[in-house]
Amino acid sequence: MNELATIDIDGPVATLVLNRPEQRNALSIELLDALHEQVDRLADAEGVVVTVITGAGRAFCAGMDLKQVIIDADAGGSGDPQLPRRLLSSLGRLTVKIRALPSVVVAKVNGAAIGGGCGLACVCDAVVTHADAKLGFPEVDLGLCPAVVAPWLVRKIGAGPARAVLLQGGVMRGERAGEIGIADIVCPDRDSLDAATAELVGRYTDSGAAALAATKSLLNDLDRSRDESVVLRGAELSAGVLATEQAQASLIARIK
Amino acid sequence: MIRVEDDGPVRIVTLDRPAKRNALTPGALDELARVFGAGTESSDCRAYLLRGTGRVFCSGFDLDLCRDDGPEQNIMRSFLEGLSRAILAMRSSDRPVVLAAHGAAIAGGCALLGGADVVVADRGAKLGYPVVRLGISPAVSAPFLLESAGAGATRRRLLDPALFDGAEGARIGLVHELVEGREDVGPRAHEIARSLAAKPALAMKATKKWAMEVGGEKKMPGRAGRALEASLSLVSGDEAVERLVGLWKK
Repeated sequence: MNELATIDIDGPVATLVLNRPEQRNALSIELLDALHEQVDRLADAEGVVVTVITGAGRAFCAGMDLKQVIIDADAGGSGDPQLPRRLLSSLGRLTVKIRALPSVVVAKVNGAAIGGGCGLACVCDAVVTHADAKLGFPEVDLGLCPAVVAPWLVRKIGAGPARAVLLQGGVMRGERAGEIGIADIVCPDRDSLDAATAELVGRYTDSGAAALAATKSLLNDLDRSRDESVVLRGAELSAGVLATEQAQASLIARIK
Repeated sequence: MIRVEDDGPVRIVTLDRPAKRNALTPGALDELARVFGAGTESSDCRAYLLRGTGRVFCSGFDLDLCRDDGPEQNIMRSFLEGLSRAILAMRSSDRPVVLAAHGAAIAGGCALLGGADVVVADRGAKLGYPVVRLGISPAVSAPFLLESAGAGATRRRLLDPALFDGAEGARIGLVHELVEGREDVGPRAHEIARSLAAKPALAMKATKKWAMEVGGEKKMPGRAGRALEASLSLVSGDEAVERLVGLWKK
């Protein structure tokens, strides 16, 4: 059993949990590797109609693990100049893999979904959250470029709104995320999230599994979701910006 | 069940089967494709109004007709093929199409919205594509809904069989004008159709044609064809047959 990312399969419903709660499920290379492994398993899992992705603890996913994208080891970073690029391309490939899953994928955004974490939610077929959750893409505030997640946000809410969100940076409450279409279902509070998710999942599991899979596959085809090249180009762009002095200095300031 | 009449330059196409909530038949879909595909050169038609009589615009396919369908599901096939053809004919007409979605536009009825240029609905109208419950894919609507609502809302609405209201339809871009009551929809849509019909004909024709072209309409028949294939590939599968047969056992 891989501890950083766990899968629980209960009949037609699989639950994939980001399980690094003490780091608010921040995406380290180890967590990304674990997620790849679990998503590969889900791609082959027979009889799974719905996959729910959620985070252990208070956060859904706080985004990239900042200590792994800082290069200078003396400043608390990894000391490995290649690590950020590997992280970003791994995240890019993971998003395409999640989108291509034959099951309907629901992001159960239990708490903060920031940057790459919010991107992971946008990849899913439906996003359920609560009014107090914090979602958003504060990359530009840190001198970073949200290039890997941008294609998914564009697909989720349209190119015009996506540009406004990504360039404004910051984070928003769940309610606002619902208004602009990042979240599909927004419960009034965290306590009602389980029930709201279960209700949506129930509608999927009551539906015809073949009909859902064929519809999802057609949508992936029509909106070019299987195109890995765009997220990999995004990863290159993002890694380039991340390596600049300006970005590194602002990341170091952030972890201090 | 399709009634066609001209009110001056407005050609009114009415789904007229109120006792069955204007449930569509394969014949009605063929008729819609014929009416919208007929061309307007030899007539005074300057705009179309598509509407329904009774409490709702359209409740979708008349599934009672599938009760005695054989294992090949030929009736369901003709429904899906007819729906795709009717929507494409509405879109390729050189005249604007205004659609009055009052009360409810469900499944195949909601799919028809994809063929219209201007959709009017009431705030509380019931909209949606609940067909995955029957093991049927709402794929036919996918290319058109993608265009009006974008990929996120399309994914959300086509995979989830839950219905949504007119206000949500307007939020995602499927509905272009909202009115308060269902009785207000028809008159408002008629008024819009009249006003479109009164605008300079050449400009209207050129603008619809160009808007379709820059919107990627050339690719649409191919995308619609792929969508129809995806939908047809399921209909004689075990899941669809079992769920459709289940309807009659209830």
